[in-house]
Amino acid sequence: MTHPDRTKQPEIKAIDTFQSVYADKTQLSNDIPIRLIQSGTEDIVKIDLLFRAGNWYQPKPLVAEATNEMLPEGTKTWTSAQIANKLDYYGAFLQTNANNDVAVVTLLTLNKHLNKTLSLLAEIVQNPIFPEDEFQTYIRNKKQHFLLERSKVNSQSRIKFREALFGPNHPYGKILVLEDHDNITTEDLQNFHSSYYRPKNCEILVTGNLKSDTVNQIDHYLGNTEWKKNEYPEIPTFKIQPTSQQEIFTPKEDAVQSALRMGKVLFNQHHPDFMEMQVVNTILGGYFGSRLMKTIREEKGYTYGISSLLIPLVHAGYFVIVSEVGAKVCGKAIEAIQQEIRRFKEEKTDEEELNMVKNYMRGEILRYYDGPLPTASTYLRLMEHNLSEDYHKLMLQTINDIQPERIRELAEQYLQEENMKISIAGQCEK
Amino acid sequence: MLFIIFVVELYKFVDQFKKQNFMIKITKYTLDNGLTILIHKDKSTPIATVNLLYNIGSKHEEPHRTGFAHLFEHLMFEGSVNIPAYDTPLQKAGGENNAFTSTDITNYYLTLPIQNLDTAFWLESDRMLGLNLTQEKLDIQKNVVIEEYNQRYINQPYGDAMLLLRSLAYKKHPYKWPTIGKDISHIKNATLNEVENFFYHHYAPNNAILTVVGNIEPEKVYELAEKWFGPIPKREVARKEITQEPEQNSPRTDEVEREVPHNVLYKAYRMVSRNHPDFPASDLISDLLSNGKSARLYQKLVKESPVFSNIDAYITGDTDPGLLLVHGAISEGVTMEEAETALNNELAKLTLQTVEDEELQKVKNKFEAVHEFSKTSALHKAMNMSFYELLGDAERINTEIEKYRAVTPREINRVSKEILNKNNCSTLYYHKK
Repeated sequence: MTHPDRTKQPEIKAIDTFQSVYADKTQLSNDIPIRLIQSGTEDIVKIDLLFRAGNWYQPKPLVAEATNEMLPEGTKTWTSAQIANKLDYYGAFLQTNANNDVAVVTLLTLNKHLNKTLSLLAEIVQNPIFPEDEFQTYIRNKKQHFLLERSKVNSQSRIKFREALFGPNHPYGKILVLEDHDNITTEDLQNFHSSYYRPKNCEILVTGNLKSDTVNQIDHYLGNTEWKKNEYPEIPTFKIQPTSQQEIFTPKEDAVQSALRMGKVLFNQHHPDFMEMQVVNTILGGYFGSRLMKTIREEKGYTYGISSLLIPLVHAGYFVIVSEVGAKVCGKAIEAIQQEIRRFKEEKTDEEELNMVKNYMRGEILRYYDGPLPTASTYLRLMEHNLSEDYHKLMLQTINDIQPERIRELAEQYLQEENMKISIAGQCEK
Repeated sequence: MLFIIFVVELYKFVDQFKKQNFMIKITKYTLDNGLTILIHKDKSTPIATVNLLYNIGSKHEEPHRTGFAHLFEHLMFEGSVNIPAYDTPLQKAGGENNAFTSTDITNYYLTLPIQNLDTAFWLESDRMLGLNLTQEKLDIQKNVVIEEYNQRYINQPYGDAMLLLRSLAYKKHPYKWPTIGKDISHIKNATLNEVENFFYHHYAPNNAILTVVGNIEPEKVYELAEKWFGPIPKREVARKEITQEPEQNSPRTDEVEREVPHNVLYKAYRMVSRNHPDFPASDLISDLLSNGKSARLYQKLVKESPVFSNIDAYITGDTDPGLLLVHGAISEGVTMEEAETALNNELAKLTLQTVEDEELQKVKNKFEAVHEFSKTSALHKAMNMSFYELLGDAERINTEIEKYRAVTPREINRVSKEILNKNNCSTLYYHKK
């Protein structure tokens, strides 16, 4: 038997081909734009309804999220329990999700039950009634969940960090408080629904095993021309007003670890340097083998995990390093992180490290489109941020082209550790 | 000489119900050194998924040396005989990986573009061959594990609940300690020698299942496996008899008081093992209780009479007899006793009344749908194939569903009586200060 040569890595074949996913694009009878992607072999369909109805648009805290989450809690035709029972009977999943910018309602169903589950989806988004008793239950549970979340150092560090970056009155920075739960009513939800859940503010993405009549079925239920036609409200504008604090400390007695966030306002994908900055970010803290992981976890053992992220929002973007570190080593960990950032700006990234990151990122792009469910969530992100279908193809090009000198330049320009805000929650010994 | 011991084509197409869902076609090989290889050719993806399951979990540990299987999972990334660091070459090949340790197994998985599958085999076979451990590496990973312990179990509200519940529900069986370890001092005191011994006693081709899902012919995968894993010698696997848990004959309770936002009630009912004929019925019982918003506990105890702000029931699905767990966050103004009475009454309905056909059909439908949705993920398929093979037959990824379809309302009633019995229950009262 011949023994394999274990001393060197088998030859690596680069990923040279990447096909953008192009959706079929058409419109429903009420002009809702719909995009369809045939993907996968299982007989399933995923329908995402995207509304520009996130926190950005809400008149009061919590209204966007509550409207979105309460859609399935009762309609003109069905009670909350009936809706839940039908969806479960057909083995379907209905998910609601509202973030700072958008609100999404998702149906995941077997093709054979598409008609029945689709009619429920349509009823839920068009005719919710936000029953008072359901609302009371919802708010009561929401409050308990809120208290649980707020008892975690990670959540404390996050909200204080965002407030420092965007300011207390900006939708990306505003901190929700317990009293906010008592200041909203079902009327707020009804008004918000009738302003923002409407064909003019809706886009649809359909992914999965599509049949010849899938569009017609969807049009039958969601193409309703009677659906809301009232005036569309003005879109609010906000100015980013960072607080003057550079370092925010939220003490929590008996915490054995501190949650840590460090970063600054940057930009979203529409900025010409965003894609290249993704490469910079990946090297620093964007994957398991990143410099931050190597130093803070693997060399020093200060943490179970650390990562850095470029967070794109529709109206802004920011850079953040996130970790939970031992309380006793918290000060040392911060120093070590700052040291890594400095090193980045001082030393040119070596070719070998850069090539590894490039290959890793190429693999990531393939994984974004690996199967119908990842494809749907990747494509939905492109829709949310108004990005081209060729976004990841361009990303691949950027990855191929970027050179070490450019990495250093970008790090110097955008990663000034002295300009970064730090938010620590827990106990921190210097 | 290596030769194929047997090759089974497990493919079959079911049309008795005119179903459209295709079976997952599995090809199986076994190498001379005992390594089991499972392959599913999936044409729909440019990515290959490689799953390597080692039949070593926290239940195989010594009572005074717990947390080793999990510590070892960390050490498996610290370099092997010929490869100084595991992650670097994988990332060069565009890959990504992770691992988890449970009470029963340690499972490693990676995904990478299929053209670089060789790298996956090179990496995984080298670390099965042997590790390159040093005191320094061990010390650092001990620290990382201690931080993991702090992050997950100490610094989270209710983070220690499962630790308390396990030690209440099990008195003899090693399931009584969690995978992170019974006491963090076991990790702190681990020596290099002990850790090395652990490797050679548990990491072996004859104690592992290698699964590949991707757009590749099974014969090609077999050739790769033979090339890279074939030369690794079979090892003597240390297997002591695992102490089985004696029957529980009376209720057990424990209570704690912590700085947490609200009171939580935890119940752990003993149930059958993963391979027991009553397992599907037990699983469906937990679904009747809490799978989806229409499920009993949510509708009755959160919506209709709001005793809890949320409530959940699920099973551990362990290979040895496991647990059916119920836990609920109690609403403001409701006492622990009131909440417990309401929960007990709701659970008792399953033992007193036979479930309606339609309700049972609902949870079966949901099980089937989830099965179909999960097939869109190569990683899910690879993990499930591996785990079913560990249980006895990878083919069960296709056939298990039949056992669920066959469960009757009477069976649900009978199994409910066995499980949801107060003498079979451990209760943890988690009070807020």
